Amino acid sequence: MPRKTGPHLTTRLLALLAALAIFTIATAQTPNYDPNGSLTFVTNADPTLNPWTPGAVIESNLVNTILFDQLTRYSTKDLTPSPDLATSWEAAPDALSWTFHLRQGVKWSDGKPFGAADVAFTFNKVILNKALGANNSSVFSPVDHVEVVDPNTVRFVLKSPFSSLPYYLAYFAGMLPAHVLESAPNPLQVASFNKSNPVVTGPFKVAEFVPGSYVRLEPNPDYWGQAPKVKTIVFKVVADPNTQLAQLLAGDVDMVTVTNPTLLAGVERNPNLEVLRQSQNIWYWVALNQSDPRFTDVRVRQALLTAIDRQAIIDSVLKGYGTVATGPIAPLQKAFYDGSVPSYPYDPARAKQLMADAGWTPGPDGILQKDGKKLTITVPTGQFGYLVNATLLVQQYWKAIGVDAKLNVMEWNAYIQDVVVKRNYQATLAWWSTPPTPDITPYFSTAAAEKGNNIPNYKNAELDALMAKARAATNVDDEVTVVKAIEANVAQNLPYLFLWYPDIITVLNKKVGGMATINTPTAFQYSADWYVKR
Amino acid sequence: MTAYIIRRLMQGVVVLFLISAVTFFLINLAPGGPSSAVSFQSTAAEREAVLKQYGLDKPVMVRYVDWLSQAVRGNLGTSLNQGLPVARLLAQRAGATLELGLTALFLATLGGVLLGIVAAGFRNRWPDHVVSALSALGMAIPGFWLGIVVIIVFAVHLGWLPTSGVFSVGKQFSLADRLRHLALPAGVLAFTLMPNIVRVTRSALLEVTHSDYVRTAHAKGLLPRVVLLKHTFKNALVPVLAILGLVTTVLFSGSVVIESVFGWAGLGRLAIEAANGRDYPVILGVTLLAGAFVVVVNLLVDLLYAAVDPRIRHG
Repeated sequence: MPRKTGPHLTTRLLALLAALAIFTIATAQTPNYDPNGSLTFVTNADPTLNPWTPGAVIESNLVNTILFDQLTRYSTKDLTPSPDLATSWEAAPDALSWTFHLRQGVKWSDGKPFGAADVAFTFNKVILNKALGANNSSVFSPVDHVEVVDPNTVRFVLKSPFSSLPYYLAYFAGMLPAHVLESAPNPLQVASFNKSNPVVTGPFKVAEFVPGSYVRLEPNPDYWGQAPKVKTIVFKVVADPNTQLAQLLAGDVDMVTVTNPTLLAGVERNPNLEVLRQSQNIWYWVALNQSDPRFTDVRVRQALLTAIDRQAIIDSVLKGYGTVATGPIAPLQKAFYDGSVPSYPYDPARAKQLMADAGWTPGPDGILQKDGKKLTITVPTGQFGYLVNATLLVQQYWKAIGVDAKLNVMEWNAYIQDVVVKRNYQATLAWWSTPPTPDITPYFSTAAAEKGNNIPNYKNAELDALMAKARAATNVDDEVTVVKAIEANVAQNLPYLFLWYPDIITVLNKKVGGMATINTPTAFQYSADWYVKR
Repeated sequence: MTAYIIRRLMQGVVVLFLISAVTFFLINLAPGGPSSAVSFQSTAAEREAVLKQYGLDKPVMVRYVDWLSQAVRGNLGTSLNQGLPVARLLAQRAGATLELGLTALFLATLGGVLLGIVAAGFRNRWPDHVVSALSALGMAIPGFWLGIVVIIVFAVHLGWLPTSGVFSVGKQFSLADRLRHLALPAGVLAFTLMPNIVRVTRSALLEVTHSDYVRTAHAKGLLPRVVLLKHTFKNALVPVLAILGLVTTVLFSGSVVIESVFGWAGLGRLAIEAANGRDYPVILGVTLLAGAFVVVVNLLVDLLYAAVDPRIRHG
């Protein structure tokens, strides 16, 4: 075939240049985003569109974050509480109340005005109504009630000081419409609201809820802020994590949070996808049940942590996506994190020495014993994420210093029943995901032992006093001082064996723009900023 | 005949009652509790409030009697984790499962019978070997694995078909869109169901081929095609029908796996979610519906026997 020659080439070049010129003019005149853009996310089951309904958990959190505004939301820079439905707030000098000034002119998606009555309803009738058992309601236990000061001002009246209140108000704490739900016998179980069309103040509202398939959102024309730049947001119900990633690779879904790093192969190589390493206040731990007298000796706890090569577990099980933990406050809380506390680096010889100091010496079979009793620990482990793999490694590290750990792999729901509800375990490995506040009371206080989130049932009056002092702090400098003392205390006493802070791995299609990268829960508090690149 | 059908249906009711009792006590014996109450973060106070709302603080026996007295009046209760009536959840999901199941059954029967005829017709020659190799593969490959592989091949790499779901967003009533979504899950489900049908068709055909009346038909000089279709195949149908009855019941458990992999909004996934979240009323509802389905299918198969084989009479 003869090749095309000179004149043809010039005409084609000219045509190309002309096209380029037109294209440049066209793009210069239109904004850089697609006004009809659509974003698709996945969720693992049908969501429940009320953030406080018991059972509305992981499958509902992100969609509810878009729909329901809160009084505060996290700053995309440093996760401090920033204005959302409240524009400013201040604590009383005695630290026993907080006043929140609400944004004016906010409307619900049915056109009715939002105001102080809604906040009072959400707290007094829902969260603080113990009979409803609202999600996470226990964290608000220092709140006695909420008073309406005027239509745009509310006062949180406290039973005890609660300096972290603005942080908790930004943590899955959406406001509910009083005019819609107050007549319901149980405001958390209104099917037409939860499973079809909730009334919200967020940038988007529900357009369509197809059970088992998807929830489609459209912009809320009554939104108080800047109008959203995305025309449609879809949450598809996809239960299987492999299928979720296949959808991402096929371009059917725009973002997936990967809980198991081993699934990432293939995703990292795809040119359309971006793998983000994000951080949240999440720490993995081993709890040693303090009702078991063998674990009340601090040297035993220190030895059992020193025996574990946490970096090796991070490198193998987490594929490097994590850092060794030093306490319950993760490095992303820059003002409060203290990495200089004792961190118990991997040292099996030292671990054996600590055990020997505590009276545990190797028996003839190499297993540690004290008073003729072998150190055998039953370790229930739940089938969730990489818990089983990580626990297996801990078992091996403990074996190396002569501890006989017996694993009991359990289905997740049964595990929760045994470990969390009944506290029927000797040691176990799991994690806490907490709001980015230095308040660690729910997980460490004596009041939370046995009944609350203090899984190891650890009781320490000195720590209780420090945590109460932190809650009573009225300025950040005082709070930092107390929190550092708390960090030193828990690092010394190891109520939990602190393992690692995992990176949250979010895989995002590169077409998505305007999404805050600090972490996913925060990014979803700013959905009005999202756009789809052309 | 009518008396027979009525008697069988009465037996079915007894069977369903037994299923409900066994399921109720089994799921309540299993450790754990509804995920709305028994979650990792919930405190004792939150948990107890929710259990009380659901009446789960009452003894199991009392709860069963409560449930049964409502169930006989047609009220299957309310989902503990979703807050919707169980009957409504079943109705929302049954259509998708029927769509997937019937398509898979049709494909499996068509493919299975055809391949069975080929295998019998070419007994111990290469087509027979190819068919039996395919059947062995269908038996051996787990559905969830095959599902993920076909998603990666046909949806991710080739981009021919959608990765999951029953229909595209906003295209609920487009037939073409639904068929595209149906192709992969129904194909995989049919592939795993087919081997049984192939093998039974093949052996039934071979058995009949060696019977006296077929030899007679050949001796009469009838065309081989006529012998195959009129004499051999019709008589080989009875065991094939029997296996179809069995396959239909397996269909349901197969679709539990396939629905999870393909994000199919059907009863199978509802059942998995309910079991993981200990949603007792939903587990009971799905089990009863599946039980009723099996009872009816078995009755239909028995009635079909009589239609196909005049020697069988129900009375």
